[in-house]
Amino acid sequence: MSSARDDILGALRCRTGRGPDNAAAACAHVERTILQPRSGPRPSMPEDLVALFVERAQAMISTVDLCPDPAQVPARCARWLREQGLPLDPVVAPSLADLDWRGAGLEVRIGAAGGGDRVGVTGCFRAIAETGTLMLCSGPDSPAVNSLLPETHVAVVPRAHIVADMEAAWQAARAELAVWPRAVNFVSGPSRTADIEQTIVLGAHGPYRVHLLIVG
Amino acid sequence: MYFVDRVRQRLDDTELQRNLKRTRGRNAASRAAAVAAFTDFDAVRTRATEIRASVLRDLDIWLERFEQKAAETGATVLWARDGDEACRLIIDIARRHGVRTVVKSKSMVSEEAGLNAALEQAGIRPVETDLGEYILQINDNEAPSHIIMPVIHKSKEQVSELFARVHGTAPKTDIEDLTREAREKLRPEFLGADMGLSGGNFLIAETGSVAIVTNEGNGRLCTTMPRVHVALTGIEKVVPTLDDLSTLLRILPRSATGQAITNYVSLLTGPKQAGDPDGPEHMYFVLVDGGRADLLGGDFESMLRCIRCGACMNHCPVYQTVGGHSYGWVYPGPMGSVLTPLYQGLDQALDLPQAATLCNQCSVVCPVSIPLPELMRKLREKQVERGLRPWSERLGMRLWAWVAARPWLYAIGSRIAVRYLRWLAEGRDRIQVMGVAPGWTSQRDFPAPAERTFRDLYAAQRRGGRR
Amino acid sequence: MSAGAPGSRGEVGLFVTCLVDLMRPSVAFAALKLIEAAGYTAVVPESQTCCGQPGYNSGDTGAARMLARKLIAEFERFPHVVAPSGSCAGTVRTHYPDLFADEPEWRARAEALAAKTFELTQFLVDVACVTEVPGDFTGSVTYHDSCSGLRELGVKRQPRALLDSMPGVRRIEMPDCEECCGFGGLFSIKYPDISGAIVQRKCDSIHGSGACAVALGDLGCMMNIEGRLRRTGDEFTRVIHIAELLAGMPDEAGG
Repeated sequence: MSSARDDILGALRCRTGRGPDNAAAACAHVERTILQPRSGPRPSMPEDLVALFVERAQAMISTVDLCPDPAQVPARCARWLREQGLPLDPVVAPSLADLDWRGAGLEVRIGAAGGGDRVGVTGCFRAIAETGTLMLCSGPDSPAVNSLLPETHVAVVPRAHIVADMEAAWQAARAELAVWPRAVNFVSGPSRTADIEQTIVLGAHGPYRVHLLIVG
Repeated sequence: MYFVDRVRQRLDDTELQRNLKRTRGRNAASRAAAVAAFTDFDAVRTRATEIRASVLRDLDIWLERFEQKAAETGATVLWARDGDEACRLIIDIARRHGVRTVVKSKSMVSEEAGLNAALEQAGIRPVETDLGEYILQINDNEAPSHIIMPVIHKSKEQVSELFARVHGTAPKTDIEDLTREAREKLRPEFLGADMGLSGGNFLIAETGSVAIVTNEGNGRLCTTMPRVHVALTGIEKVVPTLDDLSTLLRILPRSATGQAITNYVSLLTGPKQAGDPDGPEHMYFVLVDGGRADLLGGDFESMLRCIRCGACMNHCPVYQTVGGHSYGWVYPGPMGSVLTPLYQGLDQALDLPQAATLCNQCSVVCPVSIPLPELMRKLREKQVERGLRPWSERLGMRLWAWVAARPWLYAIGSRIAVRYLRWLAEGRDRIQVMGVAPGWTSQRDFPAPAERTFRDLYAAQRRGGRR
Repeated sequence: MSAGAPGSRGEVGLFVTCLVDLMRPSVAFAALKLIEAAGYTAVVPESQTCCGQPGYNSGDTGAARMLARKLIAEFERFPHVVAPSGSCAGTVRTHYPDLFADEPEWRARAEALAAKTFELTQFLVDVACVTEVPGDFTGSVTYHDSCSGLRELGVKRQPRALLDSMPGVRRIEMPDCEECCGFGGLFSIKYPDISGAIVQRKCDSIHGSGACAVALGDLGCMMNIEGRLRRTGDEFTRVIHIAELLAGMPDEAGG
């Protein structure tokens, strides 16, 4: 009996009129398309990407704090958590382990979040001004769960990581990442649902709140 | 039950009608606002259409390229000729990995395949985690009525009553509380499940990845926490590159809910890598044909461009009147009226291509420019070709065309028709009961025609005569 | 027939449409008056019947093709062809070429005809550049955008511009003016329950506008909406074809 794969691909080849005379050309076209990705229409962007990112992130109900001094990140994080009355024991992604979290009065754990963690802290690979979105790449130093399991997600966003759009972020990923990450998660504000009567409720299955510390 | 009976039932269901009325037009308004706020919408729509069309031209090669790349990342790509085969493959995977519970994020192909029933029969527990799908599952596996808002037909009171009954909790009236209750019920399922099953909005040939678009975050949980991740999707979902994905992501959420982007877009590539603290150990793709290959290269190929945004149903006067369940299968609204007869058999859904006013609004809002009314018309043509229309209708159409091709006969015929209609009107300006078209007068009066046809009046005028 | 009287801007072939011929001749007379008032010579080919749309929409393309050939032959000699109906003009303009996909000669003729076929208000505004109309209607009017006119031909601003040129007309937009009225040709007879529910929403929108008259460009929508209004006890809201309203002869001819 022929395999499902052969049957399906066979039917498709028959339908696309594939034959020895055009297969090589089609393969070459496919490879070329991938090697030279073509962008679609990209919205024009203002000069100040940071301002746009902040505006769009807030529109997606993220909260934003500007923190010019990288060393101040733990303190600013702690201050926000206190203001919000949130727990002071975040789980912090290993990529941010070098910051002095304890000095800011936070009982941090460095690593991947578990079911019991209430605040998760992450960095970000890039941030996208067009939509106010974080681009998080999973990896040993950047667990995907830290932005997912806790009810509160705090992300540290270096100003220099803010790019215009997703295309620019992909370009950076293709250039900089030696190993393509298992998960690339684009996060735009807290999780939400509108399944019941199309009424928006925050905190469906993921975080209830997303706080962005823009650094630099 | 036949379509017309289902429709009658839905029209008589005052609760459903109230629920439909509450949300009617809301998604359309959100989409309109999003389109108005996005100056590049038309250009993106054109490009999105091109991307989807170009993949279909070489779908075989794109799929092979995707498969090769996905295999390089350590994922396993499996193929299923139909829904049943997909179910068997997934049950095999589950058995291989000792899976007892499967958490599912939304997958329309899983609905096509009837996966939940198959899993249950195999002793594996499926748990729907999209809030809407979860509500339906605990309501005795009710079918979704919309492809992206599966419980759009329900009120919060109905959900409240259901939760109280099934969860044994005190009834809640607040939607926020209901959402929280579902979250608390489902969180342990995410943490304890052995397998996560997702759909796939797009497959990316460049990286061998699946892209999943969600707002709730359940898609992320299903594909991150369990040991095994299975992405179940149709073979038509491939797109070439990440740049193409970016283009499609500009148009999908805007068309669906009016969002500029969904809260989460996840690009998943292979299983957990060395050193990764999280992610599944095994990743599978199950790519389902289910009638798709047959559409390629034919009259209905454009339907394969569909990105399942739901805009067509959000803008359809018929869907907005009868709700999704009237359509009888997984896909409702205009896209369902095309897909159901194509995937289930022309003779299995005779009414669907007919039950449309061809108002064309669906095609105007479709983000990938699918000419849905044209496709419905084509299906009507196929029904006629295959002799699936009632003889009276076919004969009537033939007779009418035969007469209309003969002006002198047509003139006599229309003169007789005018007399007949005026006789029915009994001197009034309207007809209230009309035997030849009872459907018309069951709902409205039929305005009585003028005394003489235009052609007669005009001829008389040209002759210089008076009426 | 001559090329038009001296001073005429040229001939216009008027496609009356089968519904107008049968039901409301006054609409065709109104169209004639408007075309003449715009300075053109209106010509009505006597052998015309139907554009074939019912066959086309019912999947009987053989029937549709036969009638399309007939109409093409009757009208292709005119520099302009006008119909007081968005759906009939839409059939000629957007669907005739598709009907002859496999017949290059007919396809070329269909395309040539399609390019010069217009819905009445579209012709008056876009081709004839009319800014004044003979009608003298007084009262509030809301305009229903019929589906084919709007979405196949882009008829939207033209009828509104003409209505706005009439001093006595107070134009009010109804909510969801672009939503289908539920007519859909044979759909209204095959699925009366759905059609009835949709047209009821249209009636509610018309009432919501508060206008005393609804104007529209298609007789199908007109019969559907008027029939529903009357059936549900509204004897007052006037349902008027845009041609009659613009020409100012709603009750003169035909009745």
